[in-house]
Amino acid sequence: MDSFKVVLEGPAPWGFRLQGGKDFNVPLSISRLTPGGKAAQAGVSVGDWVLSIDGENAGGLTHIEAQNKIRACGERLSLGLSRAQPPQSKPQKLH
Amino acid sequence: MNQIEPGVQYNYVYEDDEYMIQEEEWDRDLLLDPAWEKQQRKTFTAWCNSHLRKAGTQIENIEEDFRNGLKLMLLLEVISGERLPKPDRGKMRFHKIANVNKALDYIASKGVKLVSIGAEEIVDGNVKMTLGMIWTIILRFAIQDISVEETSAKEGLLLWCQRKTAPYRNVNIQNFHTSWKDGLGLCALIHRHRPDLIDYSKLNKDDPIGNINLAMEIAEKHLDIPKMLDAEDIVNTPKPDERAIMTYVSCFYHAFAGAEQAETAANRICKVLAVNQENERLMEEYERLASELLEWIQRTIPWLENRTPEKTMQAMQKKLEDFRDYRRKHKPPKVQEKCQLEINFNTLQTKLRISNRPAFMPSEGKMVSDIAGAWQRLEQAEKGYEEWLLNEIRRLERVEHLAEKFRQKASTHETWAYGKEQILLQKDYESASLTEVRALLRKHEAFESDLAAHQDRVEQIAAIAQELNELDYHDAVNINDRCQKICDQWDRLGTLTQKRREALERTEKLLETIDQLHLEFAKRAAPFNNWMEGAMEDLQDMFIVHSIEEIQVKQLVPVRDQSLQEELARQHANERLRRQFAAQANAIGPWIQSKMEEIARSSIQITGALEDQMNQLKQYEHNIINYKNNIDKLEGDHQLIQEALVFDNKHTNYTMEHIRVGWELLLTTIARTINEVETQMLMRDAKGITQEQMNEFRASFNHFDRRKNGLMDHEDFRACLISMGYDLGEAEFARIMTLVDPNGQGTVTFQSFIDFMTRETADTDTAEQVIASFRILASDKPYILAEELRRELPPDQAQYCIKRMPAYSGPGSVPGALDYAAFSSALYGESDL
Repeated sequence: MDSFKVVLEGPAPWGFRLQGGKDFNVPLSISRLTPGGKAAQAGVSVGDWVLSIDGENAGGLTHIEAQNKIRACGERLSLGLSRAQPPQSKPQKLH
Repeated sequence: MNQIEPGVQYNYVYEDDEYMIQEEEWDRDLLLDPAWEKQQRKTFTAWCNSHLRKAGTQIENIEEDFRNGLKLMLLLEVISGERLPKPDRGKMRFHKIANVNKALDYIASKGVKLVSIGAEEIVDGNVKMTLGMIWTIILRFAIQDISVEETSAKEGLLLWCQRKTAPYRNVNIQNFHTSWKDGLGLCALIHRHRPDLIDYSKLNKDDPIGNINLAMEIAEKHLDIPKMLDAEDIVNTPKPDERAIMTYVSCFYHAFAGAEQAETAANRICKVLAVNQENERLMEEYERLASELLEWIQRTIPWLENRTPEKTMQAMQKKLEDFRDYRRKHKPPKVQEKCQLEINFNTLQTKLRISNRPAFMPSEGKMVSDIAGAWQRLEQAEKGYEEWLLNEIRRLERVEHLAEKFRQKASTHETWAYGKEQILLQKDYESASLTEVRALLRKHEAFESDLAAHQDRVEQIAAIAQELNELDYHDAVNINDRCQKICDQWDRLGTLTQKRREALERTEKLLETIDQLHLEFAKRAAPFNNWMEGAMEDLQDMFIVHSIEEIQVKQLVPVRDQSLQEELARQHANERLRRQFAAQANAIGPWIQSKMEEIARSSIQITGALEDQMNQLKQYEHNIINYKNNIDKLEGDHQLIQEALVFDNKHTNYTMEHIRVGWELLLTTIARTINEVETQMLMRDAKGITQEQMNEFRASFNHFDRRKNGLMDHEDFRACLISMGYDLGEAEFARIMTLVDPNGQGTVTFQSFIDFMTRETADTDTAEQVIASFRILASDKPYILAEELRRELPPDQAQYCIKRMPAYSGPGSVPGALDYAAFSSALYGESDL
């Protein structure tokens, strides 16, 4: 597990697309980056998992909660990220 | 004359000829028909007022009230929603001209080519010019075209009217003048959208004035469209003014298309929410089913792993029966549940993919792999259990058989040995004669051989006891006790026999010696003789006792014969059972195999429609369900076989377990295959369209493809959209253009047209589309209010939204504002930040 932190200087937009949340049963992750945007410049990659927002654990947040939390960070956004690969889910046969 | 204000550029180009022709046309128009001017005045005034009243003002006289430019600018602001530059507040002519120019500049900035309209004419109150200018404004903002050239917008509007009035046989709209004279066209338009407002069947072609007035009355009262026409004028003019009619009809278009749009937006939102709620439900159901199944597995495995042996055959038989029950009654529904779970999972993932949502990840411990793992453990425990059951039963059977054998042998032996010790302890030889002792010896010899014959039996008894110990017989202690007693007694008998022999031989010897002396004492032997006789009689009695024993043995033999007979009958019955089972199993096994092959073949075939494939699979499913009786019958025979303790069957290679597993696999396979085809159909339908729809699209496209080269230009496309009721704003149209003409080539191909139409009509939604739908309901505001939601959506959906939408905190926020954009993107689990 390769975890790291980025601190983005505001204001928004931060230049990334957030995907997932507890209500989707999918961990929060970065699904898209605006080329040259603040997130891209800080070294964030597509596929990174979001572990914490502004120092608080993001694990139990619904999508809207995470969205609001990020929106609430006006001047500075601090994200804890990770680059590991959790299991995939594809249509499977139960043998 | 065309006046150009120095320093102000109008973005237009025109030919001198064109300009002249325009003037001539207008002059000719006016000369030909002053009625038109009258109609236009009335209609345009009404139209302007319908907008100006929102700003709290009106005009009375169309060529007078716009002369200073102020109300003109106000009109433009109201209908466009944008602000114009501040008007000059002076009363001088140049102030007025400046203001009118501001208005004209604004119109030009909207891409309108202003031909021969100048600020001075307006300020001077030139009726012709003023009407022309107002018409330009109406065209641009009400009928939404980007040039003064009316063709495409007009055609679009006309086509829309034709479409909407097509079902009304007495209405035939071919133009914007004579076709409307009988008033039925207007009434039909109203009835088509709001049948509750008008009773069309009661209308009469011969009362045109009444019809027109009725339509205008209803439009004013219920549709917020002020009366803009004069019914008598229209009816009495041979050819009514086209522009007036177009203006009025365009108001209808806006009213209805707008309502349709709101309805479409609300429908789309409801659909999206319904999809979401359905997906949530499926996810919850998956979690619930997964929990239940896992729990059942956790409960069942310990039962299958319990290997405590029972004492009796009955108890084990009961266990076997319980296991059979489990396999026949309790497990099959669970197999089905597991299959259903898998199917649900796959269907859910497909639906999520189709509706553009992120994939479903079950919670910890309920993943597909967890369930597969648990199921595997269950089946392993099962297999071990059945083996163990059968082994145990065999063991118990043997053990009980042996124990019985032991008892019988032991009893027989004990009976035989009863009293022998006593006899052997007899000192009957002590007072016997020589002859008697010799006789006793002979008897003893006989006894000794009898004893020797019984040696085998005792050894057998001991051997059986030993085996019972090895087989872990539960009552081994008692067996051992008894065996021990028998063996001890045997030893004693052996010892006693030996002693008696010795004693008898000694006595014989002694008596021989005495006999010698007997002669000498013969005379004195008489009393001894008497005693001897008595003793001999006693001995003879014992012979009789032995014979009876023989008789008893003979009586036992027939009984044993009978049990042999019974055993033979039982073996025959078992053989019959075996054959019966085999005959069925040998038919069922191959049948299952052939069905599996059929199903496999059916899924390999790709030719033919999915529906055909589905029908075939359903047919197979039907056959399989009907075949279940055979499986049940086989189970019945299997039960009989097990109860009869038959564990082998050389007439068939199939065991009941083979058949069971094969059957379950067959059921699972057919369900799985059907589900695969269903999934394919889902995906196809999500992207597909019906043949009728395709025909309609083709017809529209061809109509607007003027050059017949398979391409529409932007204006054509816009007219086409208008004719389909897409009442578009600038921004929306621009967005759509980037979708259908992404390379900016200025043309729309049929393919991209179809793509666009299917996207709009298909079930796929994106967050943007949902946001656009909400925006319509929110009348273009960036937030929406609770009462707007309650007004436009069904109550439970409105409640759902109100509960979940976060508060809007952007610019222009008011208390109670809800952020529909954040909500919509959260539906798809994606937000841009």
